[in-house]
Amino acid sequence: MSLREANRRMRLRRTGTVSADARVRHYDELDEETQVVVRELAGRPRTAPETDDLDDGDVVKFTDYYQVRAR
Amino acid sequence: MSDSYVIIGDGIAGASAAETLREEAPDAEITVLTDEGESLYNRILIKEYAKGKLPEAPISIHQESWYEDHDVDLRLNTVVVDIDVENDAVRTHEGETFEYDSLLLAIGGTPQQLPVGNADADGIHHFWTFQDARKIKESVEGAEKAVIVGAGLLGIDFAAICGAQGVEAKYLMRGDCWWRYALSEEGAEIMHDAMRERGVEPVFDSGVDHFEVDDEGHVTAAVDPSGERYECDFAGVAIGLDFNTELVEDTPLETEDGIVVDEFMRTNVDNVFAAGDITTFNDLVLGERAKNGSWGSAKEQGTIAARNMIEHGSEAFEWVSSYSITHFDFPFLSFGHPTLGDDSVEATTAEGEWRRVALKDGKIVGGVLIGDLSPQSAFKQLMREGRDVSDQTDLLMEPGFAVDDLAATTEQQ
Repeated sequence: MSLREANRRMRLRRTGTVSADARVRHYDELDEETQVVVRELAGRPRTAPETDDLDDGDVVKFTDYYQVRAR
Repeated sequence: MSDSYVIIGDGIAGASAAETLREEAPDAEITVLTDEGESLYNRILIKEYAKGKLPEAPISIHQESWYEDHDVDLRLNTVVVDIDVENDAVRTHEGETFEYDSLLLAIGGTPQQLPVGNADADGIHHFWTFQDARKIKESVEGAEKAVIVGAGLLGIDFAAICGAQGVEAKYLMRGDCWWRYALSEEGAEIMHDAMRERGVEPVFDSGVDHFEVDDEGHVTAAVDPSGERYECDFAGVAIGLDFNTELVEDTPLETEDGIVVDEFMRTNVDNVFAAGDITTFNDLVLGERAKNGSWGSAKEQGTIAARNMIEHGSEAFEWVSSYSITHFDFPFLSFGHPTLGDDSVEATTAEGEWRRVALKDGKIVGGVLIGDLSPQSAFKQLMREGRDVSDQTDLLMEPGFAVDDLAATTEQQ
């Protein structure tokens, strides 16, 4: 597992394709705190503090496919 | 000599138990037996594969190398034919015997077949395993018309698959709406509209009397009890699961629509545990025996079972489950036990947004949210707390509802 940088923020960007090497997480797999963040960020130009349950590059299946970008 | 643990089943319940045992009992001997030909995969995402939205690779969770790396003896394509709880041993179809100190049964269920003529015809699919998903994808890609049977959480996956693959489908339902045990017509109509937009037409008060097949035994139509005929190249049936209890029929293990376990996932035999879909468990939140088939619940049950296999009584299973449908451009979520209870409240909170909360003795036992999932955490918290909300149910239907709203009202009384 890669070390995380502190104080990063994440956003979700809608993605049309999912590569074979992507880690894909369904909404139902996420912990409750992360589910709240996904609902807040999906489809919106917002950021939130990075959660433990998602990593930069992960793809989340919610009402669409969203790629996690953490900076 | 180290303790030996045998786990039957490599779904999320069995696999999470194996992970927990390895973490918390580093010297233990762990064996996982599964009748499937592949190791743990993401059962929630196989519908996305069948829709043509995901490649195969991301569906896999544990490569076979994971088991080697964690010193877990994985046996694929291995059918357990006998469990001998008197002698702490299980036997496989190849005559191999595995002795154990503790046994975990994570043996799940098998999709039910419709009890009608030609229900086993070629082109009629049930949806449970990754292998099922591969066959469905192949079959639906060559289809123009489909019939779907089973107006519940699994049946709607077939509707989404047809919609995504451009297959015109008739969705035959016995009642007057989809998932009628948890939704009213008003809430269900939001789902019906979403299906129609994708070329899937709900047909109410219907069902299947029999299927018609061609000379090669491939399904060509479903005929409902009134004689209405629906042509199809493909049929998807999702009417429920038969739990795989036949394996324990000749044992003293208690069964009741599954294998009965306490809140520690232990059966009535001290060193035999169960987890996942197969369990009928003591639900501490609900206050009675319950079943749950969600991914999160199965994963947690596997973890809790493992901890109690190491030290019984160490941790109880106390969980509010949820299950979402993410096929449409709005979210749907059921939580707890939305089909139970002695009362309910429901409301349309905005256009395309609907919610229903099921209550038992004034306490929330489950519910459904469509469009707006924001009260999910609040409702789950109230369930966990066992809060009596009987005199404030109107507040539960307010947009933006939060637990504090309820507390403030309570304090004012």
